[in-house]
Amino acid sequence: MSPVLSLERASLRYGDILGLSPTTFELPDGGGITGLLGPNGAGKSTLIQLLSGLLPPSGGEVLVFGQAPFRNPAVLSRIGFVPEGDRFPAGLRADRWLKMMGELSGLSEPALSESIARAIATVGMEAHASKPFARMSKGMRQKIRLAQALLHEPQLLILDEPFNGVDPASRLELMALLRDLAAQGRRILVSSHILGEVAMLTDRILLLFRGRLLAEGSVPEIRELLDRHPVELRVGTEDAQAVASWAVAQEELVGLRMEEGATVLAVRNPRTFLPRLQTAMLSGRLPLRSLEPLDLNLDAVFRFLTKDNA
Amino acid sequence: MPIYAPSLPPRPTMNEGLAPALVLARFDFRRLRHQKIGMFFGFAYAASLGFMAIWVYVRFLLKTNSALNGLDALANQVLVQGPAFQASLVTLGGWLTTLLWFQVAFVGGGVIARDTLYRIRPLIYAHPVRPRDYLAAKGLFAAGLPFLIQLPFILIPWGMSMLIAGVHGPVWATAPLRLIPAALLVSLLMGSITLGASSLASTPRAGFGWVLGIVLGLSALSTIAEHSLSQPALGAINPLALSAAWPDLLCGTPGPELGWIPALIGTAFHVVFWTFIAARRTQPSEAIL
Repeated sequence: MSPVLSLERASLRYGDILGLSPTTFELPDGGGITGLLGPNGAGKSTLIQLLSGLLPPSGGEVLVFGQAPFRNPAVLSRIGFVPEGDRFPAGLRADRWLKMMGELSGLSEPALSESIARAIATVGMEAHASKPFARMSKGMRQKIRLAQALLHEPQLLILDEPFNGVDPASRLELMALLRDLAAQGRRILVSSHILGEVAMLTDRILLLFRGRLLAEGSVPEIRELLDRHPVELRVGTEDAQAVASWAVAQEELVGLRMEEGATVLAVRNPRTFLPRLQTAMLSGRLPLRSLEPLDLNLDAVFRFLTKDNA
Repeated sequence: MPIYAPSLPPRPTMNEGLAPALVLARFDFRRLRHQKIGMFFGFAYAASLGFMAIWVYVRFLLKTNSALNGLDALANQVLVQGPAFQASLVTLGGWLTTLLWFQVAFVGGGVIARDTLYRIRPLIYAHPVRPRDYLAAKGLFAAGLPFLIQLPFILIPWGMSMLIAGVHGPVWATAPLRLIPAALLVSLLMGSITLGASSLASTPRAGFGWVLGIVLGLSALSTIAEHSLSQPALGAINPLALSAAWPDLLCGTPGPELGWIPALIGTAFHVVFWTFIAARRTQPSEAIL
């Protein structure tokens, strides 16, 4: 089965700045969601710009549906793109905007009206489509943006940070919608800088950091990789000695330091360590006052992985 | 029981609609029609047009009504029907040109800047739309709007004059042949400056400032250069002078402020230079930054 898209040592430079190091991967044909994960500035948007035909690669090759996407109408008409950002002219009405976008995709009446109605129904916005964007919530605007990408029934959907700033309820709705679309046979590429968000959505992750593709695999594989990163936890307690004595007996512990009224533990595999800490606390062995992760953010994890892979 | 792979719905028929440049330009025109500022300018132009129609009719009455014979001689002195009168149909003594410049700054200043502000260009370029389609669309709007506004100011007085007095009316029978090219050149000038200025701005309000800054700044510069170097041809730097010069030149008004060659060179320079700026600033590589 030929891949939907493939990169062969594709790179992109903005003048002297390297936006994307030579990167190689491919996405198989057929339905499914792939997460593009990385902290801000990792190169996710750069990669998406290459795939959606906005820029040509500075080196290597980018193929979408077997052809180079840059300024290629044959490829672009098969891609649905939702770029990052959520700003619309205040008075603009969603249905008028969808009509223009549909026409830019090459649709004309009567297929255009049918496509707009179908896309609006798919994202569940029938009651709100004639409203101006200014009177919509962020989640509603994001659904309209998704409807725009669906107008021409694309086989590949590319979404750049679609959940940014969206409230939890709308986020879940959008995720369910994307899963439905993938089940219909669409290949979806979603970028995000939040692992939990991507993990709820997808079976396959590409991990980017500072313009490099660090890892590629399933969510458990990536989680395992991330678990190797020692996480620092500040345990607030009346009896720091007792916490320290308990902690040194745990195999996940890789470092320990004492602070006033707290013990700072560096542990690997927090997912196995934390339940044990909880059990010890509930049994009354550890007098815990607070628990605070110090560097449990993706940026720290990526920095660790970069060192690990160097 | 066989398991079938999921299949996508059939794709709709595509590539049968309008060209992308026309789709984008039409969208901009329709947006303007729905905006308050569009309604304001619509009212201002309608009022001006009404005034002009009355003026033409009064000129006709003065010539034909015997009761007004006494006034006719005076009118012939005050409202001559020579080339200057014909040229004034698209300038209204400078009022229409000033209003047009104000409008292209106010409305046209946002034509590209709005897309920059709302990051619409990356989305447009992710469709089968080439940068030259985008530029053509914006150019069509920026130049088409002042042209469409000037057109009734030429055709309605001319039509009225022809209807009530034939070839002996106050408006020359050949006036549209002179005034439509003049309106086209003025619109090209206004459109290209608007495009360039708007592409330099990141918000519509800044685009308004850029257009006014360019037009008034060049006007001041040309005045200084003209007087310090005693070269009237340097007035061709000034877009205001160029837009006032074309109707006069094409109608053959005696003693125009700018000659044919300075007007041609000045207009060509502005059109090429500002279109080049706009083309550079609307490339996909600029759109994503």
